[in-house]
Amino acid sequence: MSFLLDVQRIGISFGGLKAVQDFTLQIAHGALHGLIGPNGAGKTTVFNLLTGVYLPQTGSIHLGGVSLMGRKPFQIAAAGLSRTFQNIRLFGELSVLDNVRIACHLRGRHSLTATVLRTSFYRRQEAAIEERAMTLLSIFDLGDLAHEQARNLSYGDQRRLEIVRALATVPKLILLDEPAAGMNPAEKIELAKSIEQIRKQFNLTVLLIEHDMSLVMDICERITVLDYGQIIAEGTPGEIQSNPKVIEAYLGEVVTES
Amino acid sequence: MQTLDYAIPGTRPTQPGWVTFVPPLAVLMLALLMHYCVPFLGAYAERIMTDMAIAMIAAMSLTIVNGFTGQFSIGHAAFMALGGYTAAWCSYYFCLRYWGQTAVVPGTLFGTHQLILLCCALIGGAVAAGAGWVVGLPSLRLRGDYLAIVTLGFGEILRVLFQQTNSQALSKPELANRPLFGSDPTNPGWVFPPGVGGSLGFTDIPKSTNLFLCYLLVGLTFLFAYRLKFSSLGRALLSIREDEIAAEAMGVNVTRLKVRAFMFAAFFAGIAGTLYAHQSGTTLRPIDSGFIRSFDIVIMVVLGGLGSISGALLAAVIITGVTAALLGLTDYGLLPYRMPVFALVLILMMIFRPKGLFGVHEIWDYLPQFGRKGAK
Repeated sequence: MSFLLDVQRIGISFGGLKAVQDFTLQIAHGALHGLIGPNGAGKTTVFNLLTGVYLPQTGSIHLGGVSLMGRKPFQIAAAGLSRTFQNIRLFGELSVLDNVRIACHLRGRHSLTATVLRTSFYRRQEAAIEERAMTLLSIFDLGDLAHEQARNLSYGDQRRLEIVRALATVPKLILLDEPAAGMNPAEKIELAKSIEQIRKQFNLTVLLIEHDMSLVMDICERITVLDYGQIIAEGTPGEIQSNPKVIEAYLGEVVTES
Repeated sequence: MQTLDYAIPGTRPTQPGWVTFVPPLAVLMLALLMHYCVPFLGAYAERIMTDMAIAMIAAMSLTIVNGFTGQFSIGHAAFMALGGYTAAWCSYYFCLRYWGQTAVVPGTLFGTHQLILLCCALIGGAVAAGAGWVVGLPSLRLRGDYLAIVTLGFGEILRVLFQQTNSQALSKPELANRPLFGSDPTNPGWVFPPGVGGSLGFTDIPKSTNLFLCYLLVGLTFLFAYRLKFSSLGRALLSIREDEIAAEAMGVNVTRLKVRAFMFAAFFAGIAGTLYAHQSGTTLRPIDSGFIRSFDIVIMVVLGGLGSISGALLAAVIITGVTAALLGLTDYGLLPYRMPVFALVLILMMIFRPKGLFGVHEIWDYLPQFGRKGAK
């Protein structure tokens, strides 16, 4: 069986701190994979390694058979891997629509001549980009807010906008970094539905970091657990829930009284 | 890389075709209007309007790099001076070689000299853009203060280099006797080091700048900046200003676009410098490349609002106007108060409008009947 994402033993250390070590992950086409672990376990570092923000010091990363090692973040985005950020990184001063249109930039052709002369090709492309951006926004009910400044959105809307923006780059694999953080229970249920919908509609594969265990256990098909930069368990939600190492990582060692 | 064909014609409403052609025609009309109407206001007004046009081009070009892309460059006058020196060198020696003199008939709309000026402006702009590329490529990996220092240093280096140039050949026979190369003071070359007057300044440049060319180029620069800002390319530049890491994660080639923005800005600065060099009454001096000049342009861009094209235009007009007004008060000894006045204006603005006159928006966003949706 071939995997969409094939990560073999990547690692990085900052000075003497081994942030991530021997991280191996294989995700099949169309899967929804969860990545969990206590605070500081290295989950976001893994995302940064995958998207080229940090350069892995060891190992290999392949997306659909193409190596991503040593590529720059924009090249990795072009290869079909997109992400959201844990600490929201929207283009705050720009409108919601512009945030999405910027991500559409990647799949278009933009020459300076066409831009300055406003050729018919340019005008058709701009119209198509705007239409696509609006379609994507409407999936997450953000269509009415298209002309708001992004920083004026509510926290939950900002998280949703991050997902829309990542979708606009036409990814094969999308990395969601705590998409439900700061959302109320009703919003979380909505989010779970939307993730399901975009997976089907865009034939997406999803890798998800999340702290909300009920959400993770509910929607993920497989889960990888990270602690102190190393994988301590991998399996289906059921297996993870009963894994003693995972329980230990989250709740602490069982003290046996003698 | 997988691409989406965005260009498939469909039922989508696109911008009408006239947006391509009508604005350039409007620019042409404006330039003709300025050329024929302003002389009625007298030579002084003509001079001020020319100064304003040059300031407007310089401010708009700096907006592309400081405003859109968020890279704080404070050496913009260096690109102006480089473009100006290059263009002036071309036109001066061309005229000297073929006509033996550089006098220009004033008041011409578009004569041979204006044609030469336009060609030289392109050369000056191109050279400045090349310098922008050279400076930009290594230094745009730096951020914030570090980039500012590099651009500042570039201006000062250029100023010193201009001081080391050869004296200019003043007549056709002298030009004929000069070697092409060499820095021997008794027999200096005119090609390299270029004979552009050294620290004495470059004089007798053909005075071919007129209002028509000035406002034609103001209009074209405005069109360029406007169309860039409201396009995919421009939005990519804005995304770099907003958040570099996110921009790169969304597929924006940050380094390449930064260098390009730097080159666009340098190109138009070179054009502004060309107009300045060929303006009547100017001697091009090495100090034109220094940081005092650069700061004048930075003040305009900051006053107008970082990223606002119309803001930069308005600020250029205001600052040039205020300078001219204070100049009129020289008799009362008020000219030395120019800089304190600017400082006061900037301090007041930081208190009352910390984002400049229009912030990142344009002037029409503030007009209720034309307001764009959602703009505040």
